[in-house]
Amino acid sequence: MEIMNGRLNNGGNLNLVFDIYPLSNYYFSSKPGVSSKEETLGDRARRLKSNYDVHGMRTYVEAVILVELFKHPHLLLLQAKNCIYKLPGGRLRPGESDVDGLKRKLSTKLSADETQCQWEVVGECIGTWWKSDFETLPFPYLPSSGNNPKECTKLYLVKLPSSRDFVVPKNLKLLAVPMCQLHESRKTYGPIISGIPQLLSRFAINMVGS
Amino acid sequence: MVTSSVVNTYPLSSYSFGTKEPKMEKDTSVADRLARMKLNYMKEGMRTSVEAILLHNHPHILLLQIGNTFCKLPGGRLKPGENGIRFHLTINDHYTPFPPSDTPFCLAEIEGLKRKLSSKLAANSPNMQPNWQIGECVAVWWRPNFETIMYPYCPPHISKPKECKKLYVVHLSEREYFAVPKNLKLLAVPLFELYDNVQRYGPVISTIPQQLSRFQFNMIPA
Repeated sequence: MEIMNGRLNNGGNLNLVFDIYPLSNYYFSSKPGVSSKEETLGDRARRLKSNYDVHGMRTYVEAVILVELFKHPHLLLLQAKNCIYKLPGGRLRPGESDVDGLKRKLSTKLSADETQCQWEVVGECIGTWWKSDFETLPFPYLPSSGNNPKECTKLYLVKLPSSRDFVVPKNLKLLAVPMCQLHESRKTYGPIISGIPQLLSRFAINMVGS
Repeated sequence: MVTSSVVNTYPLSSYSFGTKEPKMEKDTSVADRLARMKLNYMKEGMRTSVEAILLHNHPHILLLQIGNTFCKLPGGRLKPGENGIRFHLTINDHYTPFPPSDTPFCLAEIEGLKRKLSSKLAANSPNMQPNWQIGECVAVWWRPNFETIMYPYCPPHISKPKECKKLYVVHLSEREYFAVPKNLKLLAVPLFELYDNVQRYGPVISTIPQQLSRFQFNMIPA
């Protein structure tokens, strides 16, 4: 983006108003679950480290998707097992762009098949979190210690059409959580998800036809 | 208004600091402040305040400290004519924080922020005014009642919020001269000190690191 003085030139990227639709507009069904890798923590740490040595920092792209319920925006979250909440998204493949990777992951997690890549990603990244090591907490700034971060998570806003089918793997539950519940619920949802209301505060969310 | 997700930051040493006459706070206690806010609301409607995030170095933000502990961002309340929100059509009866960005009302808000910045941080003489480059809005906070609690969304069932506070990034140029009122201290606080430090800085300032996380900081050396 260029720095321009004087009047704002709205090149489409700075569209701060977006529409959200009632939860009742959407249809939900399930598909066979994706089996997750059963591995010990030690194995996982070794796998992530060898991946890092080959490919460098792991980047995750995650989608912030909103619906309206009770005249308040609700965020779509996936719940795995009993208390692990995740945003729809996942890890980028080496060389894949953020948007392509996000669309691919959304199709895997929320659509009937992976070729249906019709997701509308709005604008640029709305927030970034970095981990200086695989087991540490994420922070919203680069670690100043000079070590390269091991993991980076980038959040993007995804606009829904007024109606859509969601097909969710059986081993995940899709929830719609109100923004007022996310705010200050860090223990339940972690710093990234509970910080989403603040990241969205600069947008004008237009709740269409309830 | 500057739109860019890249922010240039310069070392603290490239700025010069002087002092000027004190700017006393209008209220001596939180209760006084809320009472005055109520009076103003009855006269003028919802208060809009704008505050500035000025960054330098490996990002540090500039905060004004009053007394021994209370820190705030430079900024303040807009005058009724500068309030863009009042004249904006509410979409579906909900408060939206923005007028369309190319209408005169948004520019009035930007001009209001420049006025506040000059009042708090610039020398009084007219030929030493910094050229404030106001960037994007990064956060909006709403005050539903005459209390100190604010939220990053207008809570449901609140049709008459009492205050709307908008935080803007301000792009500093390489050299500036700041004149700080004698009763205030200007602090430069790194992002890692603000993050998660609600007790010291409050919910609005302590969450600025998250709101800045989407920008790329280009640290230009001395």
